[in-house]
Amino acid sequence: MKSLGRISIPAILSFALGGAALLMAQPARSGKPEPAPEQTQKLTASAIQLERIVPPADLLIPEDTRISVYENVILQLIKTKKFQHVYRSGDRTAADAPDLVILHLIPEAFKPGSQKEREVITIAGATSIKVKVQLTSREGKALLEKDVEGKVRFYGENLRATYDLAKKVAGVVNRSF
Amino acid sequence: MKTRAVQIPSGVLSPRGEPLGRPLWLGALFVLGAALLLAATAAPSFGRESPTPQNPPGSMILDAKCVIGFDNIKPGAKGTLTSLPTGLEFTAGKKKADITTPSIQDIFTGRESRQDVGGVSGTLVETAIPYGGGRFFSLFSHKVDVLTVEYADSTGGFHGAIFVLSAGKAEALKNQLIAQGAKVSTHVNVPEPGEGKP
Repeated sequence: MKSLGRISIPAILSFALGGAALLMAQPARSGKPEPAPEQTQKLTASAIQLERIVPPADLLIPEDTRISVYENVILQLIKTKKFQHVYRSGDRTAADAPDLVILHLIPEAFKPGSQKEREVITIAGATSIKVKVQLTSREGKALLEKDVEGKVRFYGENLRATYDLAKKVAGVVNRSF
Repeated sequence: MKTRAVQIPSGVLSPRGEPLGRPLWLGALFVLGAALLLAATAAPSFGRESPTPQNPPGSMILDAKCVIGFDNIKPGAKGTLTSLPTGLEFTAGKKKADITTPSIQDIFTGRESRQDVGGVSGTLVETAIPYGGGRFFSLFSHKVDVLTVEYADSTGGFHGAIFVLSAGKAEALKNQLIAQGAKVSTHVNVPEPGEGKP
């Protein structure tokens, strides 16, 4: 019994050490860059303006999806209650706002998916849309940049992905102000 | 007459000694009934499509859905979309919203598929059917038209409104608005979601 104890203690120790070494080595093995440190200093602004969503020439996005993203983001920005005014693109009254930040949504990827596939096969047919969220000052100085993806995986119409995206964009804005 | 006693294992007997199979059958019958009811209500809409896209001026589209786009109308509201000589008007209950023709910046039309059995209640019944049987109902869908209108408000703010109409009505409505002087740009047609796949 005594000899068994002598054998098992080094075995347990070596197992624990090996596990710890593996855990420490994991970030280096994955090769992924470490996420940018969380923004500690909050931004301040009394008004925000959402610019029109213009997809790059090589990315086809249905117009209803593009408009749905825009309108849903406007609704979600109002819901955050972080700003006195939420201006739309082209609004002339935004020129009078003293500390205005401008929100740009730059589409990066779009997968149309299919509601029928989603509901029949479950694991297929997801609709997803990925955008770069960019906050700039009126002068064009970049204040924040982040990638956000909206999805609808199981049940719901394709446009529900735009609602999911808008909620996430509003979440990014909410955490930044 | 000879009768043969059938031995029922004790595991399938209730404490009173009755077989437990009956409630399960009753449950299955209830779900089957609900499913048949849903299928019956969905059946008339299978393959629904209007043959001629003709909307006379001043016409009303009764079963229109405003997906999003107006500040005073809740997203997803169902109502009446009326084509007026001055533009478009959407009425949902007592609430009204309009888009004047000069404020229109662009109009897009598209076609999509919508599930015949949908919504919260439909989804609940689908999931209640055992062994994934509810997925059967997801196979039934009908085509709808999607009308997207980009417009500017009085201060120049950009807006977009999305309407879902029964098939064949969006193109006629778009043509009417163009005839009234609405601006339209040339568009690249994006394939309908879920179509064109091998």
